[in-house]
Amino acid sequence: MLVILFIIFGGLAIGCALNVVAQRNPLYCAISLIGVFLSLACLYLMLAAPFIAAVQIIVYAGAIMVLVVFVIMLLNVEEEEKRKIRMGYLVPAAVVLAAALIGEVFFVLWSVSPNPTLPASDIGLTSSIGSALFTTYLLPFEITSILLLMAIVGAMTLARRTESLPPGARVVPGAQVLALSDVDLSASHEVQTAIETDSTAEAGRLLGIVDHSKEDRD
Amino acid sequence: MEPQLSWYLALSALLFTIGVVGVIIKRNVIAMFMCIELMLNAVNLTFVAFASFFQDVTGQLFVFIVMTVAAAEAAVGLGIIIAIFRNRESLDVDDASILKL
Repeated sequence: MLVILFIIFGGLAIGCALNVVAQRNPLYCAISLIGVFLSLACLYLMLAAPFIAAVQIIVYAGAIMVLVVFVIMLLNVEEEEKRKIRMGYLVPAAVVLAAALIGEVFFVLWSVSPNPTLPASDIGLTSSIGSALFTTYLLPFEITSILLLMAIVGAMTLARRTESLPPGARVVPGAQVLALSDVDLSASHEVQTAIETDSTAEAGRLLGIVDHSKEDRD
Repeated sequence: MEPQLSWYLALSALLFTIGVVGVIIKRNVIAMFMCIELMLNAVNLTFVAFASFFQDVTGQLFVFIVMTVAAAEAAVGLGIIIAIFRNRESLDVDDASILKL
């Protein structure tokens, strides 16, 4: 019975994983990846780890994939176009290496001695995981919380939009020198607050002046 | 007949290999990111299989911490992807060959 379930969920996981790689539309990739997560959660249940299975569904299939799908929708990602394969002469080498890897997998599958199945215990239950997490492994747990805090700060710093100006803002180029002929003084006399910029190019862009150096570089 | 430990290890190795192939052949940043998540999950399956067969809770704690790291990676990674897209109007990794945004 467990063998049949293993074949079903393992096959589902491999099929969905292959679909993740084969699809060209990122949204279909994400939905296939959710299939992988769900079948792995079922495998965790078979391995007597109900807490990890629940966390897998809640954190991975719930939170992380919602974030990924949200970003895909937000950025309006188009499908990848097909391109010519570069370095086609490496295909035979890839086939040989893949055959070696499959041989190693079958070596593991057939030559490792089968271990006796142990009686079911309570290692996967929430209480045993919690007691180990808050006694023996308390330091990794606390370090994890610091990691999450750093991730929050980093994500906010990265995703912050710095280019939009509040209404009535005034741009001051700081120590950078801007040619007087480039600045339209009549356009900025009604603004009140000052905005500091890091470079002349940024100040010029905020003031609406065409960046000639960038045009030359392109 | 029960599923053996080696079956789970073989399944995990296959999933990890598929993830590696995806990271290598994909050109979209988000698709590469999802293939990295696939590799993380393959390793998680190995941890849970060993924890179950050796009757030790430590493996499952490692899975818990790996999931936390994956969540942090998702937040920061997607922030980087949004920053790249805002500056380059493209998610192709070949267009983002230099780190300067």
